[in-house]
Amino acid sequence: MEIRDKIRGTLVKLLSIKPEELKDDVSLQDSIGVDSTEMIEAVIALEKEFGTKLSPKDITKFSTLQDIESVIKGKTNQ
Amino acid sequence: MSKIAITGIGVAAPSGIGKRQFWANIKSGRSFIKEITRFDSSKYPSRIAGQIDDLDKYSHVSERLLKKIDAFSHMALISAEMALQDAGIDIKKEDPALVGIFLGNALGGWMYAETELRDLYLEGREGVSPYMASAWFPAAPQGQVSIYYGIKGFSKTVVADRASSLMAIGYARKVLSKDKLNMILAGGMEAPVTPYALLCCNTYGALSKNNLHPESAYRPFDKKRDGFVIGEGAGIIVMEPVSRAKARGANILALICGYSTTCDGENRINPSRDGKELARAINMALSDAGVTQEQIDYISLDGLAVDIWDNSELAALKIIFGSRIKNIPVSCPKSMFGNLLGASGAVDLIITILAMENKLVPPTLNLDEPALNGLNYVTKQPREHTINKALIISRGRGGINSVLVIEK
Repeated sequence: MEIRDKIRGTLVKLLSIKPEELKDDVSLQDSIGVDSTEMIEAVIALEKEFGTKLSPKDITKFSTLQDIESVIKGKTNQ
Repeated sequence: MSKIAITGIGVAAPSGIGKRQFWANIKSGRSFIKEITRFDSSKYPSRIAGQIDDLDKYSHVSERLLKKIDAFSHMALISAEMALQDAGIDIKKEDPALVGIFLGNALGGWMYAETELRDLYLEGREGVSPYMASAWFPAAPQGQVSIYYGIKGFSKTVVADRASSLMAIGYARKVLSKDKLNMILAGGMEAPVTPYALLCCNTYGALSKNNLHPESAYRPFDKKRDGFVIGEGAGIIVMEPVSRAKARGANILALICGYSTTCDGENRINPSRDGKELARAINMALSDAGVTQEQIDYISLDGLAVDIWDNSELAALKIIFGSRIKNIPVSCPKSMFGNLLGASGAVDLIITILAMENKLVPPTLNLDEPALNGLNYVTKQPREHTINKALIISRGRGGINSVLVIEK
């Protein structure tokens, strides 16, 4: 859960939204209407937060918080 | 060309946000020009401006959106919302394909651009917000207001230096006259109080250097004038065909009945000394309006407070109005809050509409001793006067002349 909380914290800060607006299993687009440019910002922020590089292929898998968590877990071997 | 109704006003200026507060301060004849404190401006030859410090208090825009836009888009969003409310329009009930937006801007959104460019050089490309591309350019406010309200009709941003917003309004009128749209949000916005934009304005060489006395620095047509003072803000109006405005029982604030524009085409900075092209624009605007010069009872002056600009403006007025110019009250109220550059014409129009409504001509500040005689200057205090038909002059660098005629 620690990784998911960190992701949530990063996105909440970046997008100026309330933590409860982000649902674990609903896509960011459906829950808070994230657009493609915000997704790029999110990727940059998450790369900084986790000290990793995300490829375009990784980003295509970004939809829900759960999805992002599993991509980052795979990258950071946690 | 048919007359177009103005049914709503939204304004965010150094002298007030919202038409009530704005008009109360314009009426008082107070100066809102101050030293720039937003950043260290101590090394700039001109370091005074009309600034808006309480924009957030009037904002309906989310923090999330604010991170993606420059202050000039924020001002446009606030002014557009106020204009729609003033017009009593629920935009959700409009056909979005028949709503347009025409805005004017001269410089773009430099606070956002400067901050991101600094980060580019300090942190590399990953330090730059992906919103940079859509935040800084002059058409960004048009885009943001369109997205905010879902506006989908024919729209444009006009970039014509200080004449931008009056030109955008003239253009909007042309489009509405062809029955292509139901309504248009029109006007302009400018946010030049940033380190780089202020530098550009200083380089232009026409700003007042009277930094010790900001409130008396902007003195159009005065003997002691030494240039203009910049200001930030936005002015947006709702424009509709008269038939539609009447059908929905709207309060018609004024009618736009004539517009024209010409270019001096002589110099990249200055206008022609003779004022002939400005006179031609005035003549064509009057003719477009079906109004004779004898019917004009107020003129809102461009008043740059620079010799060649003021003198050529006066020369143009003498060509058109002859000796009658002595009888028409004229003023340049922007001397109170600064020249809003690309937004100046729209705000001048808004002041003129409010002057018509209140039967009160707002004054030119700091016009203590006219450098040029022959005009009926309203100075210091507002003057009671009924305005039925008015002329608004807005001019841009190199002699872009825009002239609008409105009537009650």
